[in-house]
Amino acid sequence: MAGVSLKSVNKKYGTVEAIHSIDLEVNDGEFLVLVGPSGCGKSTLLRMIAGLEEITDGTISIEDRVVNDVPASQRNLSMVFQSYALYPHMSVRKNLAFGLSNMKMPKPEIERRVADAARILQIGELMERKPRQLSGGQKQRVAIGRAIVREPQLFLFDEPLSNLDAELRVQMRVELAGLYNRLGTTMIYVTHDQVEAMTMATRIAVLSNGHLEQLGTPFELYNFPQNRFVASFIGSPKMNMLEAEAKGGAVELADFGSLPLGDGVSDGSLAVGVRPSQFLVGDEGDVHASGKITLVEYLGSEMFIHVQLASGRVMMVQAPGHSVYKLGDEIRLGISRRAAHYFDSAGLRVPLFDKQDS
Amino acid sequence: MVETTLHNPDAISTAEEARAIRLTRARRRSRNNIFRHIFLIICSLIMIYPLLWMVSASLKPDNEIFGTLWLWPSEFQWNNYVEGWDALVVSFSRFYMNSIIITVLSVIGNVISCSFAAYAFARLEFNGRNIWFSLMMMTLMLPYHIVLIPQYLLFLQLGWIDTYLPLVVPKFLATDAFFIFLMVQFFRQLPRELDEAAMMDGCSPFKIYWAIIMPLSIPAMATAAIFSFIWTWQDFLGPLIYLNDVKDYTVPLALRMFLSQDSVSLYGEMFAMSVLSIVPIFLFFVIFQRLIVQGIAMSGLK
Amino acid sequence: MRKFLAKNAPGYLFLSPWLLGFFFLAIGPIVTSFYLSFTKYDIATPPRFIGIEHYEYMFVWDARFWQSLKVTFAYVFMSVPGTLIFALAVAMLLDRQIRAIGTYRALFYLPSILGGSIAVAILWRQLFSNAGVINSIVELVGFEGPYWLSDPDYSLYTLVILAVWQFGSPMLIFLAGLRAIPQELYEAAEIDAAGPFRKFFAITLPMLAPVVFFNLVLQMIEAFKTFNSAFIISDGRGNPLDSLLFFTLYLYNEAFSFFRMGYASALAWVLLAIIGFFTAIAFATSKYWVHYENERG
Repeated sequence: MAGVSLKSVNKKYGTVEAIHSIDLEVNDGEFLVLVGPSGCGKSTLLRMIAGLEEITDGTISIEDRVVNDVPASQRNLSMVFQSYALYPHMSVRKNLAFGLSNMKMPKPEIERRVADAARILQIGELMERKPRQLSGGQKQRVAIGRAIVREPQLFLFDEPLSNLDAELRVQMRVELAGLYNRLGTTMIYVTHDQVEAMTMATRIAVLSNGHLEQLGTPFELYNFPQNRFVASFIGSPKMNMLEAEAKGGAVELADFGSLPLGDGVSDGSLAVGVRPSQFLVGDEGDVHASGKITLVEYLGSEMFIHVQLASGRVMMVQAPGHSVYKLGDEIRLGISRRAAHYFDSAGLRVPLFDKQDS
Repeated sequence: MVETTLHNPDAISTAEEARAIRLTRARRRSRNNIFRHIFLIICSLIMIYPLLWMVSASLKPDNEIFGTLWLWPSEFQWNNYVEGWDALVVSFSRFYMNSIIITVLSVIGNVISCSFAAYAFARLEFNGRNIWFSLMMMTLMLPYHIVLIPQYLLFLQLGWIDTYLPLVVPKFLATDAFFIFLMVQFFRQLPRELDEAAMMDGCSPFKIYWAIIMPLSIPAMATAAIFSFIWTWQDFLGPLIYLNDVKDYTVPLALRMFLSQDSVSLYGEMFAMSVLSIVPIFLFFVIFQRLIVQGIAMSGLK
Repeated sequence: MRKFLAKNAPGYLFLSPWLLGFFFLAIGPIVTSFYLSFTKYDIATPPRFIGIEHYEYMFVWDARFWQSLKVTFAYVFMSVPGTLIFALAVAMLLDRQIRAIGTYRALFYLPSILGGSIAVAILWRQLFSNAGVINSIVELVGFEGPYWLSDPDYSLYTLVILAVWQFGSPMLIFLAGLRAIPQELYEAAEIDAAGPFRKFFAITLPMLAPVVFFNLVLQMIEAFKTFNSAFIISDGRGNPLDSLLFFTLYLYNEAFSFFRMGYASALAWVLLAIIGFFTAIAFATSKYWVHYENERG
């Protein structure tokens, strides 16, 4: 087990900066998820930790050892690739043993480790097969097995579930979480799927355009997003954003009217974010607006209602699945000032009611 | 929708019409196909007639070879093969041995050296890679004749004339850019994550080449080996220039000696040896047809 | 510095055989050849610099040079279109779901793979001899066969026919190209009531243009370099009456029969210039008639 520490890590391709000076501490035994939209640099960051990509500037250390110039194979880590990257011409057994025999490990030890991994992942009966004879889920297991046998200090996962179908993905997610609980090894996991991130992570690092936007527990990210990017990236459906002007301790919201916020707020533009689940229906809340339902998306346990307000703006509202809203209905929405999120003109969080909430 | 068509008399007639059209079309197509086959069979016969004629001539008595289109010999002269084998000043055993040595070495040289270069171009990162690669691609277009004379002078200086070195050593130096190109194309389609996984498994670049890339590139290596074999076996200009001693001759050079013989009575023997000389290529073609066809489609090799 | 080495060493190690070959057997010889073309050199005595005298002699005085150009160009302009037309026609016949396609393909390709061999060149000589098979057929139709090999008016045709006989490899490339044309295009054309000719000119040919281009360049270069068959059929000298004096054959004889290495080098450069010129023309005009799918920009 080992912690990983990134200090002002930077990556340039020619003149294009892919990673802008990132600082990141991964604690020993933590499951850290790197999440962000495609092209945000999360895979690049992972590959730099793995040693597959050179770093332009900064230092990466694993367990207090600077590994900038240490080859990938000597960093004492394992990586599971998106495409699994199983050697097509080797049997499952050979795939698992290949790295170990390269290390000149004694035969009995290799056999013990391979057998252990096979038992943990329940792939015992697949050992003599070639990768092309395996299903997607089985390949995934073998790929994880190849990572396990090395008994590394650190596991790296590069979108390992994205090639699986939805059902299998949920199942493998549970298995991966189980594996983490069992091994307790530090894991760094890259995904673009925020559900994966929220369900598995000890902490999540949200990246966008090569910047680290926020690092925190899933609870922190969902409830206290530090900026507008994180606010709209985490949570589905997206948070509703109401652009407004603050003046004299209150914010003037179109459709809803004036929402008093107290003295903590300075004058200027202020965005008010309300998650679909945080809208109140009926007379509850501090300010209200009426609108017309333009679309109802029924999901069974819940439904998403698109409500068009007088100004023409459309709000996304979450309601319980047993509700009876129909297309064309009039509906009255309320916002509670404590349940909303506030962002200043720079897009940063204004922590108005955070203390009372936590 | 179904119901309306059923109850609409117009719709019925259109449905019948459609079936009729479909039927005539199918009939026309099968008739077309028969014509097509007849035509293709005639074409094929024309195409292979010369080769059949050569086989037949190798088995005919000399007086039946010319003046007739008929292929079946009145009596089979298997003796042509026996006598042809020793008809020249040196036995064909020797010529075949020479050809085999040169060909085997060339095939080995080409596969090793070209796969080395291709691996570097397709998989390794180093300064100047793109420049070298475009220079390599330019040698693809370069006619051999431009380097022919200086190469000859170089080998003359080295004292390599009348040895097999001028024919074999260049193959170990990856001079056949076609094969490099073919292999680069093949290597590039192997997922790069395999190399990375192997790198994490502690493989050196050479180990990746040997344990990952090569086992996965057997079709490309086989294609290169096959074409290398065919070209070297048939090579004429190289041996013509570099080999002067009859004892060193390859099979094509030996065949040419039949033409410069004063006597004209060796036709049967000449055709017998000609047939034998293309048997190895023919066999390769039959066995590896699929690889050859793919190889040509992939890269335009001749 | 160590980092630089670590990054570059593996690449250059793997490249080293090719690099050696490239310098000693390609670039070095090219430079040498260029220099030699301005010298008089017979191997026995050291090269003597004579400036552009060779090129001057070649273009102004050397009738055999012009003859060899004439022969080679005539050959290229007859054999290349002939080969390509046959290749395309047969490829289109084979590009259907018909039975035994593999067998046909193999039979049509077989001549290509054997065609460069001396055995086939020897065979060709005999097929076109005075009492050979070709004349037997000609007589069967009721004409008198010409002296193919000894009449300068006919000799070149034997080689053109030999080249066309080897249409197999461009045919295979055409076949691969035809396979790559999406079937929906033909279905769309059928709905638009296009006939077979219209389909050919409106879909097949334009979609196949890159392949035609590729084949054209490849065949042209190959045709300019023809040597083996010309050597065997013309007794190694371009007989009869220089009517088969291919450029490569002339070059070979200058170099290795008469040891005029300087002059032969100059000839090699002219050959390179000709091939370069035609390849350049093909590339330059290609943008008017070759359209690649997924073209960027």
